[in-house]
Amino acid sequence: MNRNSATLKYILAGLGLLGGVGIAQAGPITFNTAMPVAEGNFVLREQVLVMRSGDDPSGMTRDMEVNGLISVLGYGASEKLALFGALPYLDKELKLHESGDSIMRSSSGLGDLTLFGRYTLYQNDLPGKTFRVGGFAGMEVPTGEDDKRDALSKLPPSLQLGSGSWDGFAGIVATWQTLDYQLDGQIAYRNNGEANHFEVGDEWRLDASLQYRLWPAELGAGVPGFLYGVLELNVVEQEKNRLAGNTDNNSGGTTVFLSPGIQYVSKRWVWEAVLQKPVVQNLNGSALENDYVLRTGFRVSF
Amino acid sequence: MVKRFLMMVFSFLLSLQAFAAPPLYRAYVDGLACPFCVYGIEKKLGQLDGVEKIESNLKTGELRIQMREGKSLTEEQVREAVKSSGFSLRSIGQLEVGQEP
Repeated sequence: MNRNSATLKYILAGLGLLGGVGIAQAGPITFNTAMPVAEGNFVLREQVLVMRSGDDPSGMTRDMEVNGLISVLGYGASEKLALFGALPYLDKELKLHESGDSIMRSSSGLGDLTLFGRYTLYQNDLPGKTFRVGGFAGMEVPTGEDDKRDALSKLPPSLQLGSGSWDGFAGIVATWQTLDYQLDGQIAYRNNGEANHFEVGDEWRLDASLQYRLWPAELGAGVPGFLYGVLELNVVEQEKNRLAGNTDNNSGGTTVFLSPGIQYVSKRWVWEAVLQKPVVQNLNGSALENDYVLRTGFRVSF
Repeated sequence: MVKRFLMMVFSFLLSLQAFAAPPLYRAYVDGLACPFCVYGIEKKLGQLDGVEKIESNLKTGELRIQMREGKSLTEEQVREAVKSSGFSLRSIGQLEVGQEP
C-alpha cells in the first residue's frame, strides 16, 4: 500500500464514514443526539452520502469519489438505553495520474457494521424544553471486504469496503431542546485497530449543532411539522496512520467542517439534507484534502 | 305539572348520558419539545388497555386521552407509559362532561 491510499483512508475515517457514530433520532444530521428512543420503538434512518476529494497537494491530481447509502436502525431498549446498528453500502472510485498515465480503480458493496449503545446519564424535563446528557460506546465490526482486488492488484485500504479491524469508540453528547430551537454538542474518541499491517490514526471529534425552527413561525394547536434551519460544526483531529509499524507522515491532521442544512420534522418522519464544507484543513504532508460531503435522507419511527 | 315532569325526565336522561360517557383524561408532559418525540408517547399510551384516541398539543405539552366505554386509566399507568417513552408526566386529571371544548 502506498502513502496516497493511506491518506485517503484517513479522509474516510475522519468523516465517520467507516464507522462514525450513526444517529437515529431527530437531532443533528452529522452526529449524535441525547434525545431518547421510546422503549419498544424502532427508528430507521436512511442516509445518502456523496463525498468528493480532489484538492491534491501531491501533484498527482488524485480524485476520490465516494457515494453511499447508510442504513441505521435504532431500538429503544428502555427509557434510557437505545441500541443502534449501522450498515453502509458504498461505491468508491479513485482516479489518479502518475507518469503520464491515468488510472481509475473502484469498488462497491457493503461496508463495516457499526454497533453501539447510548445511555441517558442526566435528564431534566421542563414544560416545552428538556436538557439531557448521554454517554455512548460502540464498535465497528469488520464485516466489509478488506481484500478486494482489481486487474492491477489488491486495492488500497481507501478503496476497500471494510477496514478489516475492530474499531472502538465512545463519547458524551448533550442536548438542550426547546420548542423554538435545539442545541447539541458531542465529544467522541475513536480507537482504530490494525489490520493488514495498517492502522488508521485514532481520532478525536468535537461536534456542535444548532437547529432553529423556521416554520411555523408561531405554534398553533396539535402537532405541526417543524422546518428547521441547521448549522453544524465538526472538528476532527486525527493522529497519523501507521503502516507496517512505521508512522505515515502524509496522514492525519485537523479538519473543521461548517455544515449548513435543512430538516423537516413531523411526528413520524424526518427529512433532511446537509452540506459539510471544510473551512480548515490542516493536514500532514500530502494528505488529500476534502472538497465537500453531502448527506441527505430520512428517518422514520415505528 | 307535565312541564316539570318532562324537565325531570330530561335531567335524568342527561345524567345517564354523563354516566355512560367514556372517560376523557387530560395529561401534561414535560420535556416534550419536538414533533418526532410525540409519536413514541402516543404509541405507548395507545397500547394501554381501553385507550380509544389520543390528541396531542405540542405547544402546551397536553395530551387528551379518550377511553373506550367502561374503561379507565390510573395515574400510575400513564406515568409509567410517559416515563418509558423517555419523558416526564407533570399532571393528569379526568375531564368532566362539558369541560372539554
